[in-house]
Amino acid sequence: MPASPMPEAKPDLEALRRAQADWQRETLDPALARDGERKDAFTSQALRWPTERLYTPLDLEAIGFDYLRDSGFPGQWPYTRGNDPNGYRSDLWTMTQVTGFGTGEEWAKRARYMLDQGLSGLIIEYDLPTTNGLDSDHPLAAGEVGRAGTAIDTLADMEAALDFDFTGLRHLTSVCNGPQPVNLAMILAALEKKGVDPSSFTLQMPNAILIEYTCVGRYLFPPEHGLRIATDVIEYTIRNHPRWVPIAVVSAQLYAARANPVQELAFSFAIAMQYLDSVLARGFHVDEVAPYFSFITGVDMDFLEAIGKLRAYRKLWPRLLRERYRACRPESLRLNLMASPGTMSLTLQQPQNNIARLAIQMLACVLGGGGRTMTTPLHDEAHALPSEEAIAVGAAIQHIVAHETGAADTVDPLAGSYAVEVMTRRIEDAVMAEIENIDAMGGALAAIQQGYFQRELAREQVERNREIEEGRRVLVGVNHRVREERDRGIELFRLDPESERRQIARLARVRGERDPGKVEDALERVRDAAERGENLMPAVLDAVKVYTSQGEICDALREVFGSYTPDSLTTGV
Amino acid sequence: MSPGRPLRVLLAKLGLDSHTIGVTVIARALRDAGMEVIYSGLKQTPEMVVATAIQEGADVIGVSSLSAAHMHHIPRVVELLREEDAADTLVIAGGVIPEEDVRELQRRGVARVFTMGTETGAIVAYLKDWWESR
Repeated sequence: MPASPMPEAKPDLEALRRAQADWQRETLDPALARDGERKDAFTSQALRWPTERLYTPLDLEAIGFDYLRDSGFPGQWPYTRGNDPNGYRSDLWTMTQVTGFGTGEEWAKRARYMLDQGLSGLIIEYDLPTTNGLDSDHPLAAGEVGRAGTAIDTLADMEAALDFDFTGLRHLTSVCNGPQPVNLAMILAALEKKGVDPSSFTLQMPNAILIEYTCVGRYLFPPEHGLRIATDVIEYTIRNHPRWVPIAVVSAQLYAARANPVQELAFSFAIAMQYLDSVLARGFHVDEVAPYFSFITGVDMDFLEAIGKLRAYRKLWPRLLRERYRACRPESLRLNLMASPGTMSLTLQQPQNNIARLAIQMLACVLGGGGRTMTTPLHDEAHALPSEEAIAVGAAIQHIVAHETGAADTVDPLAGSYAVEVMTRRIEDAVMAEIENIDAMGGALAAIQQGYFQRELAREQVERNREIEEGRRVLVGVNHRVREERDRGIELFRLDPESERRQIARLARVRGERDPGKVEDALERVRDAAERGENLMPAVLDAVKVYTSQGEICDALREVFGSYTPDSLTTGV
Repeated sequence: MSPGRPLRVLLAKLGLDSHTIGVTVIARALRDAGMEVIYSGLKQTPEMVVATAIQEGADVIGVSSLSAAHMHHIPRVVELLREEDAADTLVIAGGVIPEEDVRELQRRGVARVFTMGTETGAIVAYLKDWWESR
């Protein structure tokens, strides 16, 4: 097949065109005249693109689809069909789940429970004080300690959190974007004390501070300093722990802030390129760095958008790396993607319905080739921290899709579907156009500083809410088939209310037992490294080892970098 | 008997809760209904919010809360308004707030709590009625 679109339609397509016209006149039109359609317009859910009644080879012809150029073979350029030549036939994906609450001890116990459920990877989330670089006894921390995740103040907490049998653990994602250098240092120091070889598992650190400025809000310093710190973590990890993954663009957060697939991919790639530029400025070659980049995404309920999005992810990142950075190693070009069913599709109302939503989205993840690691959120997540029952159901969803559907037995099984290929290409083209738009603003950092990403997301949030309130978007249990619910019938996890008090007491005890002179010296070295523009990691590691708290380390950095308060332009509200 | 000028609403986020979709959607709905909306930004203490409300002459403080810390911060806003002689400022709240906490917040001076799933129109109507009765 030639690589360029045909100047005129081939004879068999002409025959098809005539056949379709005949079908429309003889078969479709009478049916439409009789039955009409149940909606005035059919559109996809998030992108609101018109959904055609029927896709045929004529649609592939219209987009100039070329098998080798657009799809090719798995494990080869253009990677649309996956990074692994054998898909999930050699190995299934690593099955993970997110957890995190209470103290380090409570997390360690839950971590072991999850590994015993057949999961091989864990994601540890930290509470809001920890991810904001504040200690548990800070006034803003009141009521939040150990709530949205595990509380880590000092190395003593991380030692407790990692005090479990690591058998079966292949992958750990540690989600602590703002103070990621402190978090990495604590993990390294705790592993050293425990006597575990850091290369015995993969540590993935999102380290995704630019996403925090865009939509999550757990930032500490002005964006340019946030970027510098993230770059320190990437550089230090590549040089010292080459098996670990020091940067993950958490596209799932953009999705959770209502980014549509085009915005999600364009913003994520622009952010990734900003990190890449920053790391390359430290003297690396693109092929030394690119293999470390990873993306964590969430898929939503619209099946075609979900699968098109995952395929466009894999196709676009290598294209950007090759066209813009001249990357050439296959390890650089294979997108390290971790997909999961999206939490934003889950409803507070009729929570058991969420099990169905999660299963459908999990199937889309597998059919779209969502990556080597996948996770399932939990059906009671909209209510409270996940219960043990919900964790077991979440793990079962992954095993059901893996073993009962056959979806994992053929590589990229929906390739060649006229509708899937059209959706993939449309997303791809729209993402490239939006990336050029962001380029014109000066890249991701500039777009964030100008509030562009924030305002775009705010617009989507407002529009999506209107669609639900006006009934244009159907959500079962919310605006369709609503029923009175007295008891939602799910087992909710209740956090021990004493957990916060115990955590603050431990922090006070650690502060009382450590050597104050060593802490002062260590903080001075942190300030010094920050001012000189040196990589912060060695100084932070030393500070952590003498039990300096993360709030103290972050305060030292705030003295040098300042704090960040967005103005009315950059909040998006 | 509306006071003859647009209602001024301060929308506030307290503590470390950084979920902003709700506050974004509400801000837009209130502005579309002709109200003046001021947004506090993130990581506010009750003291900061009350100071802003007084400085900006807000008639209403609307606290958006999607974290666990609502009982630590929201009643404090009401207390501080009383201490600052600004108790005529209406305090409402919205977000993920369990039923037992809703009752307790109302007992401690929060006029109304709008839980997850409330339509924006219901909040607009409530504020319009309150403003017209002033």
